[in-house]
Amino acid sequence: MIEQTGNAVRKEESAGLMKYSAENLVPFGPIHPALKEPEYFKLVLEGERIVEVIPRIGYVHRGLEKTAESRPWVQNMYMFERTCGICSFVHSLTYGQAVEGLTIYEIPRRAKFIRTIIAELERIHSHLLWVGLMGHWTGFETLFMWVWRDREVVLDLVEAISGNRVHKSMNAFCGVRRDMPEGMEDRIVERMKFLVDRANYYKQIVDTEETMLERTEGVGRISPDTAEKLCAVGPMARYVGLKHDIRLNDPYAAYEEVPFDIVTRKEGDAHALLKLRLDELIVSANMISYAVKHLPSGPIRIKIPPIIPAGEHSSHSEAPRGEIFYYVKSSGGRTPDRVKSRQPTLANLPTALEMLKGQTLADIPVVLTAIDPCFGCMDRMSFVDIESNKKWTWSGEQLRQYGISKYFPERSKKQARTHSQPGQEVTSTKLCYKEEGF
Amino acid sequence: MPRRRAGAVIPEMFRQMLEKPSTQAYPYKQVKLPERFRGKLDIDPERCTGCAVCSLVCPASVITMVDTGTRIVGDRELKVRRPVFDLSTCIFCGECVDNCAFKALELTKQFEIATPNKSDLFMNKALSK
Repeated sequence: MIEQTGNAVRKEESAGLMKYSAENLVPFGPIHPALKEPEYFKLVLEGERIVEVIPRIGYVHRGLEKTAESRPWVQNMYMFERTCGICSFVHSLTYGQAVEGLTIYEIPRRAKFIRTIIAELERIHSHLLWVGLMGHWTGFETLFMWVWRDREVVLDLVEAISGNRVHKSMNAFCGVRRDMPEGMEDRIVERMKFLVDRANYYKQIVDTEETMLERTEGVGRISPDTAEKLCAVGPMARYVGLKHDIRLNDPYAAYEEVPFDIVTRKEGDAHALLKLRLDELIVSANMISYAVKHLPSGPIRIKIPPIIPAGEHSSHSEAPRGEIFYYVKSSGGRTPDRVKSRQPTLANLPTALEMLKGQTLADIPVVLTAIDPCFGCMDRMSFVDIESNKKWTWSGEQLRQYGISKYFPERSKKQARTHSQPGQEVTSTKLCYKEEGF
Repeated sequence: MPRRRAGAVIPEMFRQMLEKPSTQAYPYKQVKLPERFRGKLDIDPERCTGCAVCSLVCPASVITMVDTGTRIVGDRELKVRRPVFDLSTCIFCGECVDNCAFKALELTKQFEIATPNKSDLFMNKALSK
């Protein structure tokens, strides 16, 4: 056993983690080529319970900020849009706002409304995607399929307005590039009504369906004080009752003119997050209906010169996952001197680690999905049973099956598939980790 | 608090069984694309003047300007340049189309551009003029 974990022990020594014995460490992550946000979590277990989580980030450092310094202002708009494949619009919006702060031009009112509509459509699409994933990881596939089908409604609207489902390319400095298509108003209002109906139905389902309640109630519980201390942003702050929403605290685009209510919950567990995001979805749908009906007339864009005046400016906005922050510095040239961006997943990581503590191995998928990260870290888990010296590997899918079988044993017997160790009980201090490619 | 039960979705499941399928029979049936769909880039060589604005704004380095000869304006000899496109890196943002003052560029509705041969995505139509 010492031979097997010798390297691991040495690595832990170098990281100053000698207080944990190697038997209790389970690596979680980091790389899966198909997904975009690999993170590596080192989990310290006591039996099934997680007592400590040590993260390591930076596996997908792409050097966007440095690249931005050598590219013209307008090209950076499209580059920063590609920071994320889900909340793409809000990145270009925030970068655009930061650059607009350096210029003297006023953004047309119609453009502000169109920005609000697209940003809210994006929020609905992101929240629906998350609810579907939550269904998937808890073993509630029906919810996953239904929610992702309803998400197509939003994607179709986004495609009709912008010409693309994911990367909208709608933003320009001091305006938007495309106007709302004519005759879209009725279609949008009708579709939003459909989504509100569906969201109300899903709220009822997550409140009554046993699968959902069993897997989410009381999971990932955290206190408001902890969330505040760890600077949680977005839904991760609102689900414990903190009123943290940039749309309300520091309005941008047309959020001053479009009325909306901030949604908060008090329970502070994964189930509260589900209901919070579904409630936010309804609020967003109502905002879109209002904005479309009250869309002002006028120009949508002011063309500005390619040289941005010298100075520095920062901007922040509320992405579906939380607060996004951009800082730009210009020396009056064609390219920026410095661009800094901060994404919500980084801000929420300390809170997620706190949520993981005290949870079981089977709850990891639910808790980590709860903060809405990308899920590259799931695959590549190795287990070693020290007593019988048996090794096996679980993929993300198998870990999911294990989670389902732990909570619903009778169901998993019928559905059992792809288990390398079906029904394998992982009992106390039998886990240690095998070095594999780290 | 509503009653907690398993199978709360079963009535809705039966209702949805009677509905039409949500998927489309692509590629056997053509998909309907929206009016503003952004697909493969195309150029009208007749309209292009070689001003190079498209190559300056392109964020994905798709467009390169190539010297195709010279022309005499008054008593000066000027270079004639035309764009060539490497569409394999195109991100379909449409910035070049927006910035083309002569309306030579457009994004077509063609989206089936996967190919085993990368040179298929190399467009030098503008050179032929």
